[in-house]
Amino acid sequence: MENQIILVSNLKKSYGDHIAVDQLSFGIEKGETLGLLGPNGAGKTTTISMLVGMFQPDEGEVIVGAKDGNRQGNPVDPAVRRLIGIAPQALSLYSDLTATENLEFFGQLYGLSGTALKQRVEWSLEFAQLEDRSKDRVKTFSGGMKRRLNIAVALIHEPEILLLDEPTVGVDPQSRNHIFECIETLRERGLTILYTTHYMEEAQRLCDRVAIIDHGKMLALDSIQGLLEKYGGCSMVSGELVESPAHVDLPGEINGTTIQFESEQPLEEVARLTQKGVQFLTLNVAQPSLESVFLTLTGRSLRD
Amino acid sequence: MSQIFTMAIKDLRLLFRDKLGAFFIIGFPILMGLFFGTITGNYSSGTGKKSQIKVAIVDQDKTDVSEKFVSLIQQNDSVDCTPMEFDPARESVRKGSRVAMIVLGEGFGETAGFFWEEAPSIQIGVDPSRNAESAMLQGFIMETIGQLSSERMQDSMAMQDMIDRSKDQLKADQEISVANRLLVSTFLNSLEGMVDSIDALQTESDDTIEGPGSGSGFQFANIESIDVTRKIDPNSVKGQLMKTKSKWDVSFPQAMMWGILACVAGFAGSIAKERTHGTMTRLQVAPISKFQVLCGKALACFISVMIVVAMMTGLGVALDMRPDSYPKLILSTFCVAGCFVGIMMVMSNLGKTEESVNGSGWAINMVMAMLGGGMIPVMFMPSFMQSLSHFSPVKWSVLAVEGAIWREFSYAELLMPCGILVGIGIAGVLLGSWMMRRS
Repeated sequence: MENQIILVSNLKKSYGDHIAVDQLSFGIEKGETLGLLGPNGAGKTTTISMLVGMFQPDEGEVIVGAKDGNRQGNPVDPAVRRLIGIAPQALSLYSDLTATENLEFFGQLYGLSGTALKQRVEWSLEFAQLEDRSKDRVKTFSGGMKRRLNIAVALIHEPEILLLDEPTVGVDPQSRNHIFECIETLRERGLTILYTTHYMEEAQRLCDRVAIIDHGKMLALDSIQGLLEKYGGCSMVSGELVESPAHVDLPGEINGTTIQFESEQPLEEVARLTQKGVQFLTLNVAQPSLESVFLTLTGRSLRD
Repeated sequence: MSQIFTMAIKDLRLLFRDKLGAFFIIGFPILMGLFFGTITGNYSSGTGKKSQIKVAIVDQDKTDVSEKFVSLIQQNDSVDCTPMEFDPARESVRKGSRVAMIVLGEGFGETAGFFWEEAPSIQIGVDPSRNAESAMLQGFIMETIGQLSSERMQDSMAMQDMIDRSKDQLKADQEISVANRLLVSTFLNSLEGMVDSIDALQTESDDTIEGPGSGSGFQFANIESIDVTRKIDPNSVKGQLMKTKSKWDVSFPQAMMWGILACVAGFAGSIAKERTHGTMTRLQVAPISKFQVLCGKALACFISVMIVVAMMTGLGVALDMRPDSYPKLILSTFCVAGCFVGIMMVMSNLGKTEESVNGSGWAINMVMAMLGGGMIPVMFMPSFMQSLSHFSPVKWSVLAVEGAIWREFSYAELLMPCGILVGIGIAGVLLGSWMMRRS
């Protein structure tokens, strides 16, 4: 598409015999938030590393930057890398420096200085709601504060693309909610975001589209609704009957007065049964979720 | 370039915020320098203070003469003499805090210094375990009495007073024989004549005579030292130590190495820490090259080594160390810093975690220090150890720094240690960069 700011084509990367990323292709439009979901070892971190130019792919290419922008090309080029801000999963902060010193240091690496640096540091501290703790060393911060600062550092140089690698790991609900609100604010401002997470509700809340990868391969890429329709399967209906009817052909499994069945149109099916005289004491309809899509695509076996 | 400085400033800030790390870089080398300087000071020909016999002096006479005696013996460099009362003085000797006590009894001032009078009474109480020093102390006391005599004999008023008293005593004494009376009377008259002569002489040359003992006094003997030792080989340990100007000359270059090794270990660990703590990811993603990241680390390490050497030199100078040539010291320090930057780069790649890098780094540091004279100066080592020390950069570093401080190396002589250090540094930087790229 014309408006794509990241274009990944047939990306392949191996470590010895192990293929970490295998013919991966996708694009991210400018201003879009793309969720990257996958089990442990699926190839998410390797993909991100190639997106930021840390690794060179064995095959394929990565192009970063909008066509109408000043810079477009391989992220190995420092000028192209300047478009990207990254908040790695591991807190990438100097714990013996203060919040301000961390922001100043990374800002200077991106060429900021003087008033521009000062303004960006102030903005970042406000963004992370750390103005009161700006002179404190990071090692005295709570987990949530460190996570917020980790994102703020990624934004110090006003990047066009933000890569967030599991940004809510180990934070309390308040900080988590604050991070969500911050990301929503950034979306509204038109920042392009690549968001990797294990939490499906985060992807459902924040992402325009979701890519599910496993064993280095792209399994699915679509909007949430599209994924649910394609891979979500049927709704699960379960309930307790007043009595087990003798002459009605019931769907699914019956165990005494407990009934459980799958249906693409659960409410219509329940109405049909009611018309036939089936009386429900309790009724529960579970619609398909992104989690069920994820498990359908990647399987239920444990990953280490 | 500004990004390299940004990296370096950040690393220096982090280094000195780590209190334990800062101690090993600054505090530990100072302690090492002072400790070994104090120990090796006994071997060196430096200008350190001589060991003194600690004594207490009890002045029971409390006359001008007894006070003069106390003042004279306190001027003796070999005696640390403290005026005290009798009981505390005796306690201090009994408890071993002083070697002896000297007691100037009442009447000391009447006869002390007049050798024809009855000898003044001086008591000495000596710690029984320090008898060897007792004889020395008696010698110092006699020397002081001699000085006192010299001064008293130039005091014409005191002399005249003494002669008058002696004449009165002679007249009053009915038992003395005529011959002796005549002899003593003649002697006293002669003395009186001499006192008048001294008076006249002092009046005439008042402008040129600066004080007692400066020309008009007399000495019992003029003692000079002569060298009876064999000629000392300048390459021997003693010969080398004779070149030192202070006891810190040997210990401070040696101690500097510990600060430098701490810098190397600290920065090697910091590169590993960047990797394990994820900050290396940010650095790699930032619009700077790996080379700039490495240069930033190298610059910070280089600066910290320079700081260590400058600080130790400053402290050494404050204590009495006098570098032979500051330009040569700066040149040596540059070479030492370059060498250890290279070593740091290699060391940082010896493990994947901070712990493994720190562990292996300090292990290598200890071996380098042991072989290179960081613990015991190379000159004190047996010959096979001295041969092994050639393989340690610490040896060449100490040699280069010593060359500028007390070995009086010419620039040509500095070329070898400095060349070896620079060579090690370049090899280390190349190898370390290659290892980092591979990792």
